Amino acid sequence: MINLAYKDVSHALGKFVVTSMGVGMLLGIVMIMIGVYRGMVIDAQVLINDINADIWVVQENTLGPFAQSSRVHTDLKDSIKAIDGVDKSANLTFQNIQMPINGTDERAFVVGYDPFGEINPINPKTIIKGRAILKEHYEIVTTDKLGYKLNEKIALGRHEYRVVGITHGTVSSGGDPLVFLSLKDAQELQFSYSNFRIRSDRERGIKSSAQQLVNCAVATLKSGYNPQMVAKEIQKYKHKSVYTQSQEKEILTKNLIKMASKQIGMFTVILIIVSTIIIALIIYTMTLEKIKEIAIMKLLGVPNSLIIKMIAQETLLMGILAFFFGLIFSHLIYTKFPKRVVLQNPDAIMLFIIVIVASIIASLIGIKKVISANPAEAIGG
Amino acid sequence: MDNIAIKTQNLVKHFGKGDTLVEVINDATFEIKKGELVALIAPSGAGKTTLLMMIGCVLTPTSGQIWLGEEKVYDNKWLTKEKRRIRREKIGFIFQAHYLIPFLNVIENVTLIPQINGVSLKEAKKEALELLDYFGIKDKANEMPANLSGGQNQRVAIARALANKPEIILADEPTAALDSKRSVDVVKMLKKIAIEQSVAVIMVTHDEAMVPLCDRVLTIKDKKVYNLSIDEYKNKTVV
Ligand SMILES: Nc1ncnc2c1ncn2[C@@H]1O[C@H](COP(=O)(O)OP(=O)(O)OP(=O)(O)O)[C@@H](O)[C@H]1O
Ligand SMILES: [Mg+2]
Repeated sequence: MINLAYKDVSHALGKFVVTSMGVGMLLGIVMIMIGVYRGMVIDAQVLINDINADIWVVQENTLGPFAQSSRVHTDLKDSIKAIDGVDKSANLTFQNIQMPINGTDERAFVVGYDPFGEINPINPKTIIKGRAILKEHYEIVTTDKLGYKLNEKIALGRHEYRVVGITHGTVSSGGDPLVFLSLKDAQELQFSYSNFRIRSDRERGIKSSAQQLVNCAVATLKSGYNPQMVAKEIQKYKHKSVYTQSQEKEILTKNLIKMASKQIGMFTVILIIVSTIIIALIIYTMTLEKIKEIAIMKLLGVPNSLIIKMIAQETLLMGILAFFFGLIFSHLIYTKFPKRVVLQNPDAIMLFIIVIVASIIASLIGIKKVISANPAEAIGG
Repeated sequence: MDNIAIKTQNLVKHFGKGDTLVEVINDATFEIKKGELVALIAPSGAGKTTLLMMIGCVLTPTSGQIWLGEEKVYDNKWLTKEKRRIRREKIGFIFQAHYLIPFLNVIENVTLIPQINGVSLKEAKKEALELLDYFGIKDKANEMPANLSGGQNQRVAIARALANKPEIILADEPTAALDSKRSVDVVKMLKKIAIEQSVAVIMVTHDEAMVPLCDRVLTIKDKKVYNLSIDEYKNKTVV
């Protein structure tokens, strides 16, 4: 038996393929959008995962250090070590700065850590060139996205820093590229940025307490200790807010990127709805375009089953083709986006199901219309 | 009754109702025998296409009865749900325009209905090629309709109407698009088919020159259908 869908599609192959490609690009953008959303959620946790501390100690009654600003004294790291179960501890600073690149400024996120401390926030796996910081001062590790070269000199605040290492895939919870400085440099950058600031502080009689402040202390536990219990213990004695690693992650995903991800999420949903409607419209008009031929077929006695089969097969073919074009399109362009885009198979499968269901519904409406068409009208006019 | 291909009894067709009521045919009662080529001649708007489409089970009459061969298909309502089966098994349609399916090539157009009727592709193709050969367009078998001339397409359309070996051919102005020589050829060919395959052919035409080639004439006057011999028609004895 002759396959009408095959004949019809091959007769107007170019048009069919171009239409599928158009729909595919739309789907590709939807996939990218979902990927941006996924990327945001992953970015939010990259730094916390790399630091990999069991306990985060921040200023009392804050959701620091990322969701809310937090300041604690440097000696906190030593005093929490006295708590039963704590293995290692370290001070960390976090801040956003503008990095000068090729005459313009690029936003980056600075992590300050003690290069001689117990906890190193740089995941060694992320270092693609050079090394971590080994000196007390004037060394910097930057992420490859910023475009600095090894040994390049970067002027920040009152000093120049030499790039000693380059990392890949390191971002702040907001997706900003990371740079690492020694704790002392970072403290100075955060608390006494310029000579002018220092002078004016002196004049006001403010004694610089910069060297005594950091944004948080982190700690790892000896094996066998429950982070939640230890956190409670620290909270009791130190009057600080204390979070476990998973709580800190939750603060990030629930509080810090909530709005942004909701925004992207909503945009994605709208995009999915719009593309569904567009796919449905294209398939509906594709069906109605053939109404004259279908009326003739009905007049000649072609049964409905054959006509429905033709429309259904073309619909499915378009849906599948568009999906694969979308897949190819999204994989071609997703690396070009400045922030992380994560394409996941389950998302693609979900989108595929949505596309196919939408196509089938649209073709059913088209089929209904076509089936009720009067064959006598085929020869009218 | 054996040799009757089409029979109608008190067939009526009105369109619309109330203020928009259009009475097209108020009485069609006639019989057409197998092997007959019947010309359907009447002024424009008289209801020729309407009559043809009722016989072809495409248009539902207002009332009356229709038999196609032995089978009574209409008695104030359709007696079968499978009007399309009747069309594809018993009837060959030819129109003024060819109405070929544009995305099927010539041979696919001709073999479509036979295939649906259960003829194997091989057999259908063989018969289609014979038909195309008969019409002198065998070499166009794999062309798309868009690449053929109007006359060639019309011949494909006639081949298609014959491909399902119909008992009845309903031809609505099949020669209107053809020159007079080709028109005569087509009518002669329809006559030949009518005799050879004992098919009843009703052919709508405006061309009086075709009348002598036909066996009888159907005409519509004052919404009534008359079935006349050639002489009766020429002498205008009845109408
Ligand atoms: N669907 C319809 N609704 C209302 N009126 C119709 C409809 N179809 C046909 N008619 C009317 O029925 C009458 C007969 O139409 P029909 O097409 O059968 O004429 P015809 O004899 O074939 O004319 P022609 O020689 O121009 O083809 C016309 O007056 C037409 O306007
Ligand atoms: Mg007509």
